[in-house]
Amino acid sequence: MINRLLLLMALVAIAASGFLLPSQAYAVDPPKEVRFAFLNGPRPWILGKIDGSFDKAFGVPVKWVRFPSGPPALAALAAGEVDIVRVGSVPVTSALSRGIPFKVIALSGVIDTSERLVARNSIKTIKDLEGHSVATVTGSTAHYALLAAFKVYGVDAKKVKLVSLNPTDQVAAWKRGDIDASYIWGPFWHDLEKEDGHILLSSGQLNKDGYYLFNAYVVSDKFAKDYPDLVAKFLATFQEKVNEYQADPEGSAAKIAKELEQDVEGAKQTLAGLAYPSLTDQLKVEWLGDGPTTKDSNIAKSFGDQAAFLVELGELRAADAPKSFAPFIDSSYLKKASAK
Amino acid sequence: MIIPGQAGDRRRGILVSLASVTVFVGLWWVCGRLKLMSPLILPPPQEIWDSALEILELGYHQTPLWRHVGVSLGRALVAFALAVAIGVPLGLAMGLFPILSSALEPFVQFFRPLPKIALIPLAILWLGIGEVSKVFLIFLSTLFTVVVGSAASVKGVGLGKLRLGAALGATRLQLIWKFILPASLPEIFTSVRLAVGVGWTTLIAAEMVAAESGMGWMVMNASSYMRTDIVMLGIILLGLTGYLLDYILVIIERFAAPWAGKE
Repeated sequence: MINRLLLLMALVAIAASGFLLPSQAYAVDPPKEVRFAFLNGPRPWILGKIDGSFDKAFGVPVKWVRFPSGPPALAALAAGEVDIVRVGSVPVTSALSRGIPFKVIALSGVIDTSERLVARNSIKTIKDLEGHSVATVTGSTAHYALLAAFKVYGVDAKKVKLVSLNPTDQVAAWKRGDIDASYIWGPFWHDLEKEDGHILLSSGQLNKDGYYLFNAYVVSDKFAKDYPDLVAKFLATFQEKVNEYQADPEGSAAKIAKELEQDVEGAKQTLAGLAYPSLTDQLKVEWLGDGPTTKDSNIAKSFGDQAAFLVELGELRAADAPKSFAPFIDSSYLKKASAK
Repeated sequence: MIIPGQAGDRRRGILVSLASVTVFVGLWWVCGRLKLMSPLILPPPQEIWDSALEILELGYHQTPLWRHVGVSLGRALVAFALAVAIGVPLGLAMGLFPILSSALEPFVQFFRPLPKIALIPLAILWLGIGEVSKVFLIFLSTLFTVVVGSAASVKGVGLGKLRLGAALGATRLQLIWKFILPASLPEIFTSVRLAVGVGWTTLIAAEMVAAESGMGWMVMNASSYMRTDIVMLGIILLGLTGYLLDYILVIIERFAAPWAGKE
């Protein structure tokens, strides 16, 4: 009986404190954990997954949630299941157009040779792809790059059989000879190149024709509003990891490959296939811009181009595409992080 | 007073079902109207309706909507037909011959609960990225349920009846044809209905393999672009078609085994 009374009193006390606490707390409590969505690609921030740098910088644990590709990661962000996502620019474009509340805070890497159009050795030029089947991941940066390459190199897209396959399935289809080419990210092209494959094009070569492909860090509006300091700390730590990678590319690649259980050579080439503009450089109009210049920035323009492209494909309603993507780019965290 | 099968009860049952669906859609519509839910997370019925009209007129990815439905149905029906053609005799044989049952049981029980998505890379390696691998995935997920159900149905046949048949001088073949098969047919139908339900859910996995049309593919493709309106439309179509398939099976059962549930 006394036990029950004690239990009841304890319950009442807990309930009361629950009611009272919010009125006493004047700031948002630190989060229990910060949730990162990561994809399989080898990237410098994985070094922070290995040594726990992000956990140390935040003072709270980081939960790393793995996703097979960008769109499901952004769907999880929409559902409030993750806070910070590293994702390609095309999924970002469609998710922003569909009204998922998040901001682009920085570039995690600019795609150069980390995404490649790989074809059978018998296919010599991009134009030769006509009459062959080419695999890609629907809605990815690689898909965009592939169709951009068709435009730039005068390939009649109607004569190419596009095959939508996940990266691991592409490797299986390649081994059987069911696909003749693929536009795919590292380390997967490594498997194709090992078996009768060679590079026809890499995404960096499309820059001169105005096509920029990049990976971005995006953060949910709710998290950014509640914890702006943590977002800045995140970027500062990210830059440290990039510096660490650049100081020792070989050693870093080995560590990252081991963490992701991938082939070291593929990881090394993928990591080297991205450019990592510094946080300070990203504030220039060539990249995100510093706020006032953001509307003229290359990244804002590039999002606009990708939206137009998705409308042309019929994947996005014209009415859904924002007139400008500048309002969805928030470079204030870049400023805070680079000032430190 | 619950006596199933009376005409008045059945009519009332249909009315209640209709009413519950209407109330559900109505509530959903109101939620959309009052903007209680972000249209991204739960697109309101009017948005799905608009998308449906748009796709009916223009098609999805240059393919008319009826073709997406037809392509999926085609894949599924071929797989179902194969699964029944192979699964029913195999299951019956397993039910009749305990040795065969012991030999095959481990494989059946291993494959039956296996998520068929896990087999996609193997299906591609073995059968390529054409129609065969898609049909194969649906076939596999259907087959084992049919086998298990058919095998079990034989055990449900009363021993007394078989003894009676044997006493009257029926041959083994006659016993199977005149006694075992009719008695197990209703249960076989139940297992086929269950299997078709399971197989239909594999459609999405099957159409993840290099598809360019089909309802499962439509759902996957639209989800890559956060087009939740089209995702919902695809889900509704998948659900309705699955419902229809089940209904057709019920009708076939009524003709093929009118004695079901009447003993």
